[in-house]
Amino acid sequence: MTNRVSMLGITKHFDAVKALQGASLELHAGEVHTLAGENGSGKSTLLKILAGVIRSDDGKIAIEGSEVVFTGVRDAMSRGISMVSQELSLVPHLSIAENVFLGHNQTRGKLGIDWRDTEKRAVEVLKRLNLNVNPKDEVSSLPQHEQQLVEIARAMAANSNVLLLDEPTSSLAPNEVAALFKVVRQLRDEGVAIVMISHRMSEMLEISDRFTVLRDSKFIDTSTRDGVTEDWLIERMVLNKPKKAIRLEKSNAKPELVLEVKGMTDRAGAFQDISFNLYQGEIVGLAGLAGAGRTELVEAIVGLHPRQSGDVVVSGKTVGHSTRATMNAGIALVPDDRREKSTIHEMSIRDNLLLAIHGRPQKQRSKSGEEKIVADWVDKFKIKMSNPYAPISSLSGGNQQKVVIARCLETKPKVLILDEATRGIDLGAKAEIYQILRELAAEGLAILVVSSELSEIFEISDRVLVMHAGDLTADLDRSNIEESDVVSAATGAKK
Amino acid sequence: MPRLSSLPAWFGVLVLEIILLIIMAITQPVFFSSSNISNIVRSSAIPIILGIGMTFTILTAGIDLSVGSVLAFTGILLSGFITHMPRVSAVLLSIVITTIVVGGINGLLIGKLGLNSFVVTLGTLGIFRGIAYLVTNGTTRSMDTGKLINTLGDGNFGPVPGPLLVVIVVAGLSIWALKSTYFGRDVYAVGGNEFAARLAGVFTSRVKMTVYFISALLAALAGIMQVGRLQSAAPTAGAGIELAVVAGVLLGGTRLSGGVGSITGTVIGLLFLQTVSNSLTIQGVSSYWQQVVTGVLLGAAVLFDRFRVQYSGRRKSREENNVTKE
Repeated sequence: MTNRVSMLGITKHFDAVKALQGASLELHAGEVHTLAGENGSGKSTLLKILAGVIRSDDGKIAIEGSEVVFTGVRDAMSRGISMVSQELSLVPHLSIAENVFLGHNQTRGKLGIDWRDTEKRAVEVLKRLNLNVNPKDEVSSLPQHEQQLVEIARAMAANSNVLLLDEPTSSLAPNEVAALFKVVRQLRDEGVAIVMISHRMSEMLEISDRFTVLRDSKFIDTSTRDGVTEDWLIERMVLNKPKKAIRLEKSNAKPELVLEVKGMTDRAGAFQDISFNLYQGEIVGLAGLAGAGRTELVEAIVGLHPRQSGDVVVSGKTVGHSTRATMNAGIALVPDDRREKSTIHEMSIRDNLLLAIHGRPQKQRSKSGEEKIVADWVDKFKIKMSNPYAPISSLSGGNQQKVVIARCLETKPKVLILDEATRGIDLGAKAEIYQILRELAAEGLAILVVSSELSEIFEISDRVLVMHAGDLTADLDRSNIEESDVVSAATGAKK
Repeated sequence: MPRLSSLPAWFGVLVLEIILLIIMAITQPVFFSSSNISNIVRSSAIPIILGIGMTFTILTAGIDLSVGSVLAFTGILLSGFITHMPRVSAVLLSIVITTIVVGGINGLLIGKLGLNSFVVTLGTLGIFRGIAYLVTNGTTRSMDTGKLINTLGDGNFGPVPGPLLVVIVVAGLSIWALKSTYFGRDVYAVGGNEFAARLAGVFTSRVKMTVYFISALLAALAGIMQVGRLQSAAPTAGAGIELAVVAGVLLGGTRLSGGVGSITGTVIGLLFLQTVSNSLTIQGVSSYWQQVVTGVLLGAAVLFDRFRVQYSGRRKSREENNVTKE
């Protein structure tokens, strides 16, 4: 049997950086194939090459046994290969039907595009994916997981028999993942070859028929589902196994109340009447599905998101609404989107780290003093870098995040809030960040960790808060807590 | 009542236009004289033609600041050709040369090389205005334009004003192209999410190049109309008009960030600006005030659009919450 697709010896350089060195991938018809590897291992690059988005420097691609060279996305698409990228690639203000047939697949009538027929065909394709929507609606009116199905519908409408899914589940809730997997299995049974990238171990093991592992831009191993376990994957993905973070004993027996959030409601209608407390030295997890209002809540606490009513009280004092006031009161936030909200790409590591203390009086600042601050943090957090004057974008995601955390800590906060702080960070760096948080809590910092990953919530929290559709639905102690408690609170299920 | 958010973005401006017309009809009878109406139609034709080209570029999240200079450049070009050949050939040749040269420079630099449209067209704005001055030494060239050119810019075609006919044809073709051709949909896709468009197989650089050719073509056409209107070609023609045109396009609901907008909105927006300026003139208000008013209107329109989007967004999220709670 010939492979539907085989990629052999694929090599790709971005300037001096080797993204791929002789990577290979074989795809059969009717299989779900997981491409596993840490961030920076070259998975996305390999998929982009197969989708014709970028061209490889070297290597061969064959479809049904005959060698091809793609001239671009269109060419790859015409040979049956479609990619659903990590960032949603829809045009938000165009209709659902139009997004399905984007790229000249709309029905052409005598006087240009025949919209009625295009919409009819859109409904047919979407039905195949169990999606019943009005094709005339703007695509941005759909919830995110349905938007993703629209993207898959686009691939189906183009008659693709190879579907590339780059982290399709990263922003989906468990029930949405299940719905997506149902569609994926259905397509597989129809003979479509599906390549998937995921960072969630349980998902990979659940859905895949075969695995290929990349590490450091090289091909490591490939195997069918039999015999692949979590350990098998980790062993191949990671050179040095991450150490489990150790839970440290609390120093203070009587924890002091640090942060009180009282009856907070925002103006945009993302959450309402939220109240909770945070004590010294504890790590509290804030769980919930995407869109539950968690990011809006933490941003409202630090004054980034407008509130309607409610108070934030730190150590007994009510805090003003501005970000400056909350910072001075001792609340620091590590935002959810590193690229958009926390790092300034063009600026150096040093300047990024010192950003939050620019408000200090000039006489308290000196070049040597600042150099020492930077050196101390780099040392303490083991930030891997060439020199502090290099742009922050030269660091890996994990190290960038450590710089952001250091920036927050340099303001000497009493409360540290982290929003999806380990998203897109590889396993090793993740464990290091957990360890840092543990140590900080042991020193008496109150920490609130917003996370969509249940495993992370369970790994790190002393207490778990759960939000659903803008309400706080659970406040659970770590000692007597089941995964199902969190899931049912997050989905709004009644017990 | 239909939802505020489901109405087209230009609806508010249309309402304002109608209110303004009613006020003028009551207070100034001279406003609705056939000569004044004809004056408004004729004077708004050139900005509308430029605005249609501008809409194409802004829809792709670009901008073309060179249109005013290109208008003048085409007029000068025509004044050179017209003495050497039949008028029809002179007109066509000026339009073709301008489109190829200007569209080529803007299109290649912005579409192919991916340079910033603001910077590139700011450059061509300077270049073609400068050339117009250099060639004429700063003087205005009068010419005998003949019937064709005069009709395009000022005269009548049967009972219909020529410029109005040009606007109807150009706007009609553009509306059709944007709605019913692959190219037109690509324009919206590129402006709405360029990466998505590329991933769907759209040749984004080609689309971006094409819109600058269209803009140059329409600016050249506007240049010919201007000559027809004034019976002369001046290197100062259309100076600063690009900003008024952008203002009208934005008033009509096209977003500077790309992906959202319409030709209908542009026509209404520019017609409104022209009506305002005409009304102020009739009311005896200084022309200096007209610029202030234009600025205020633009600010008001953008604010209105912001509230419209926010209002509908808030309502939507409330509704979603209600659904999930039931």
